[in-house]
Amino acid sequence: MAAPSMAAALAASLPAPSAAPAPAAPTYEAIPASMSKVIDIEAEIPLTAVQVDGLVVTKIIKHSREAYGSTAHGILLGLDLDGTLEVSNSFALPSHASDDDDKSAKGVARYQAAMMRSLKEVQADDSIVGFYQAMTLGSFFNQTLIETQAIHQERLRHGGIVVVHDLSQTARGNAAFRAFRLTKAFFDAFKRNNFSTPSLISHRLTFSTILEEIPIKIRTSPLLSSFIETLTDATVRAPAGANPAAATSSAALPPSFDVLNLGTSSISRNLEHIIEAVDAYKTEEGNLGYLSRQIAREKARADAYVAKRKEENAARVAQGLAPLPEEDVSRLFKIPPEPSRLESMLLLGKIDAYAKSLEQTSGTGLVKMYGVKADSST
Amino acid sequence: MPLNAASSAVYIQNTAPGFISTPGRAPTSVTVHPVALFSILDHYLRRTDTQERVIGTLLGTRSDNGEIEVRSAFAVLHSETEEQVAVDMEYHRTMYELHHKVNPKEVIVGWYSTGSNLNTYSALIQNFYSQETAPHQAVHLAVNTGAQEGEQTGVKAFVGSPVGVFPKPENCVFVPIPCALRFNDSERNGLDLLTTTASAPNTSVSHPVNDLEVLERSLKSVSEMLDRVLSYVQSVLSGEVKGDAAVGRYLMDTLGSTTEDLEKGGFNSALQDTLMVSYLASLVRSQAEVSARLALVTPV
Repeated sequence: MAAPSMAAALAASLPAPSAAPAPAAPTYEAIPASMSKVIDIEAEIPLTAVQVDGLVVTKIIKHSREAYGSTAHGILLGLDLDGTLEVSNSFALPSHASDDDDKSAKGVARYQAAMMRSLKEVQADDSIVGFYQAMTLGSFFNQTLIETQAIHQERLRHGGIVVVHDLSQTARGNAAFRAFRLTKAFFDAFKRNNFSTPSLISHRLTFSTILEEIPIKIRTSPLLSSFIETLTDATVRAPAGANPAAATSSAALPPSFDVLNLGTSSISRNLEHIIEAVDAYKTEEGNLGYLSRQIAREKARADAYVAKRKEENAARVAQGLAPLPEEDVSRLFKIPPEPSRLESMLLLGKIDAYAKSLEQTSGTGLVKMYGVKADSST
Repeated sequence: MPLNAASSAVYIQNTAPGFISTPGRAPTSVTVHPVALFSILDHYLRRTDTQERVIGTLLGTRSDNGEIEVRSAFAVLHSETEEQVAVDMEYHRTMYELHHKVNPKEVIVGWYSTGSNLNTYSALIQNFYSQETAPHQAVHLAVNTGAQEGEQTGVKAFVGSPVGVFPKPENCVFVPIPCALRFNDSERNGLDLLTTTASAPNTSVSHPVNDLEVLERSLKSVSEMLDRVLSYVQSVLSGEVKGDAAVGRYLMDTLGSTTEDLEKGGFNSALQDTLMVSYLASLVRSQAEVSARLALVTPV
């Protein structure tokens, strides 16, 4: 499987936590009083928000769109300040299409290191704060994402974040970005690599508690703002009474109305995705059921053996004979370990995400349809 | 551009195909994607105090009709002094290889610099990039960030032509070619997001926004547009403004279509389908939630 090896390579390339750069605090300079509150070398101020730069927004959208089909992923760079993680740059990682796991994993690590070195030379931020991933129709749960994030959470300052970008929602007119990190409970279970039922119960894990969402903010630098302003200027300037045709044609960035598109083509695809996910879940449940039946069978056999031996011993004692030694049952019967429920949990999460996006699409669809209807009835 | 009047014999090389040894056509127009533009602006923001301007490499694709699409850009180290200009070629190569791995389709198409003054150094850098893009011609994108007083924000594109009796690398005529901003649908929506951000009070908005909110915003803007059209039409009717025939035709085309067919064409059944899908989605979600909870029940 490509996932663990890639994750391992990523881990190798990441700086150890102690070596994580302490961003805003050069020790040789006196820290101004206004800043002393927000400086935390030990990363003690918890993250409460993520701020994504306009550049990163366009970069992620571009990469996601071009890598349609295969999942696009890349590294986020930035700094944290007073509980806000500022993501100021990002770069794409080459997709590991080839099945040469070990080689590609090493390649990714080398790529990442080289890119960081290069970016540092042009004064760009060069500390990794997380990674991004593209998704379609709201589903981003998979093993790779969880593993990569787990590694980040261990190594990066503040644990790092993952930003997901929904391609299909963007196509519908709402460019959507969300930031997540693993919850403590899940991370704990993951570190022990224990996803048996008792572990899930003790950690109170369901698919909705795997990741916690961090509020995200989009920011544009003043320079970028002014540039965008120039682009949209023509539409703003058009006075109410002026020639409307001339007003829109001169704008470099005319308004778009993708949102108002009544087409519901994505719904059928969404439904297909749900069916696929449900099928996969069914298979996974079947496997789990089979395994637990096997466990139950082995346990029953072991119990029967123990009971039989006890009976025999009781009979021997009654006859005045020395009892047979109690043998180690676990050696005679191999009880398979409790199966991991991680995969089924992730699949459930996937189903939920698909259903949620379907809910949203159909919800807005209804609004639009009623809008059209009201229009046509008058 | 050292094209002084004293030189009597000016020799501008023809950029027509076949005349020089460039296969395909010489660049006729440049389209720039927002990613490239924003990268340039970001690079400009991160320049050091001593840097007057920053330069970098443009990556993109060439089409057969001479149109160049600039799809991304990366910063390149360079230093300019009174006597000399130096571009870190090693760095440029490394970066290009890195970018090439992620996106093999994008090749070097030229270079950018901020500020709109073209000087001897620009010609030298242009010469360097022409070698990189050979056998094609390199384009130069001059991005004026508008940060200096009295300068207009804008993007200009140029191709270089050798000039002089004996073409020398430091002499060059920059011939302007048309340049446009290009984006596709998904980038478009990302830009919308940034546009709302840019106009927000402290240039940051919280995210993610609900689909319905976006819908509401669009509906409002449509309704504003309708109001604008209405007021225009009314002022025409009342004779305040002379009607424009072109506008009238546009309005006819846009508003002339009726929605009556919708009633006949199974609109209601589509509505019911959508409702059903919406119910189904909630059902699936609650089922998933129940299954997740059931997994937590201790087996007896």
